[in-house]
Amino acid sequence: MSAAAVNTRYWVLGEFNDSDALLSSTTTLRHEKAGELDTYTAYPVPGIEEALGLARSKVTYVAFAGGLTGAVGAWALQLYFNYLDTWHGYAVNIANRPPHSPPVYVPVTFELMVLLAGLSIVGSLIVYFWGFPRPHHPVFESEAFVKTASTSGWWVSVTLDAHEKVEAVRARLEALGAKNVSVIEDAEEA
Amino acid sequence: MSSEPTPPLILGKQTDESLTQSLLAFVWDKPADGWKKLMGVLTLFVLMFVASLVALLYKGTGVWGNNSPVGWGFDIINFVWWIGIGHAGTLISAVLLLFQQKWRTSINRAAEAMTLFAVVCALIYPTFHTGRPWFDWWMLPYPSTLGIGPQFKSPLLWDVFAVSTYGTISLLFWYVGLIPDLAALRDHTKNRVTATIYGIFALGWRGSGKHWNHWKVGYLLLAGLSTPLVLSVHSVVSFDFAVSHLPGWHATIFPPYFVAGAVFSGFAMVVTLMVPARKFMKLEHVITIRHLENMCKVMLVTGLIVSYGYGMEHFMAWYSGSEDEFTLFFETRARGPYAPWYWLMWFCNLGIPQTFWFKRMRTSVVWMWIAAAFINLGMWLERFVIIVISLHRDFLPANWSMYYPTVIDVMMFLGTWGIFGSAFALFLKVLPAVAISEIKELNHEINHHAHHGEQGHSIEGNVAPAGGH
Repeated sequence: MSAAAVNTRYWVLGEFNDSDALLSSTTTLRHEKAGELDTYTAYPVPGIEEALGLARSKVTYVAFAGGLTGAVGAWALQLYFNYLDTWHGYAVNIANRPPHSPPVYVPVTFELMVLLAGLSIVGSLIVYFWGFPRPHHPVFESEAFVKTASTSGWWVSVTLDAHEKVEAVRARLEALGAKNVSVIEDAEEA
Repeated sequence: MSSEPTPPLILGKQTDESLTQSLLAFVWDKPADGWKKLMGVLTLFVLMFVASLVALLYKGTGVWGNNSPVGWGFDIINFVWWIGIGHAGTLISAVLLLFQQKWRTSINRAAEAMTLFAVVCALIYPTFHTGRPWFDWWMLPYPSTLGIGPQFKSPLLWDVFAVSTYGTISLLFWYVGLIPDLAALRDHTKNRVTATIYGIFALGWRGSGKHWNHWKVGYLLLAGLSTPLVLSVHSVVSFDFAVSHLPGWHATIFPPYFVAGAVFSGFAMVVTLMVPARKFMKLEHVITIRHLENMCKVMLVTGLIVSYGYGMEHFMAWYSGSEDEFTLFFETRARGPYAPWYWLMWFCNLGIPQTFWFKRMRTSVVWMWIAAAFINLGMWLERFVIIVISLHRDFLPANWSMYYPTVIDVMMFLGTWGIFGSAFALFLKVLPAVAISEIKELNHEINHHAHHGEQGHSIEGNVAPAGGH
């Protein structure tokens, strides 16, 4: 990070006519190291991960950790209530059933495992992986983007830190067949 | 097997624009008169529910028809019935996703919404059946100064965890699928206020490729979690009965047979709702006869599993040599005071679905709607038979007593219909009833295969473009 008080980034946006054009152009731009790339589509298109060069999502690890926490926590909870806490009188002897009884602990353990795994998937997606809520994002500054991106458009964005490269990238996008090409200046407080 | 080709999943040549227009039309149009009238009637039902609830809270559970020995009546019958209905939503959205059944895409959104509302209706019953609902938090494990915690060896407590987990995960699954469509609603509207409201729920979704990468994995994981969950919920509900020692309840076949019954009744409810909705909302191009026919096939299979369950219960009653079991199944049920309802259950759940062996019946929209109504009734009767008939004649004839629902019971049940129906009607009006992004993905896949000329790779016989209606 430089010492500048304001860190300006430039978003060069362009729209393609179909998914094939988007995928091939994105791949080209990635090989040319044009800048930080992202695509915007109304639905997941097969091949987009390869075009952007994305690794498999790490949300699986979060799900595993959440599920494990839920399962271990549930077993501990039941053990505490039915076995360990004789002091508060929680461990109630009913019909002399064994205080630690693995088979009957299974349903609650399973349910809490699923619950915590699910909550951690959605929670981590929203907050960590997506960085939401974020209602204002530079790409929404383009009217053409808002009009089609979430319904039928095939958009790509190249994010640049240096102003010098903007015109070259804009020209490259147009050469690849992009329409509605625009540049958005995003001044973030550094 | 069949000589004719499988009909397509999406009728006509559709583009992303045409799908956006047709699937959002109902949301943007002014409410139709029919919709307003329906909401008016359903609101009356909701008010009836409120009235019955006031009576219940004022006087206590004595306003219900429950007595001794029939300690569980309409409350548990309706709880199990509503929870069962919810299962189709999860099955369609999760299990069929894992099995890559493309036809789920048109109906999953509405079925998931139905699940959520059915779970809400179901939860009303145990909440108030406790008698003192303001103490319901005693069911949760917390450091209580009363010196007594929840009994984790009781299926009734497992139910607390199973149903609340089920409701939460269903809501999350529905919402994650809805986020891209909420963004479409946000960007498609001309109205600033509407855009703001949808924008808040869309969280700032912009369809980023990096986000889709996480979305796909997260959605698949949620489906993977929901699949065992949907099997576990009704299994746990069945444990409420199966773990007891009452003839008619104490059967090891209960968990699978309850799960099959839940899916059976759930699909019947999806047909009940979607057959009129697709016509009224002009969704025939995405919810095609093929979708409806597939649902009829599921009802036939699950109906047969349920009937096998009934048969096995009777077989075990005879084979076990237990006099009490035998009396219940072959005397009390077959010839007792509630025998007509018992035989009506057989007619609805075994008889009616047999018509679905015939393609003409499976593809008749009118017949499948009537059949679904019978199946809804039959599955309600199943719970009535299991609960009331098993309880009303217990081991001592001196304890025998008939069970009759009271006016409050009936008002409350019809009231939950109002809650369910009005919530569903409201859902159809404010949110897209069909998962738009998923339909477009399917449409893209179909057209892409056709475009690249891969005839051998037609999706499930979906050789597109289908060439008009």
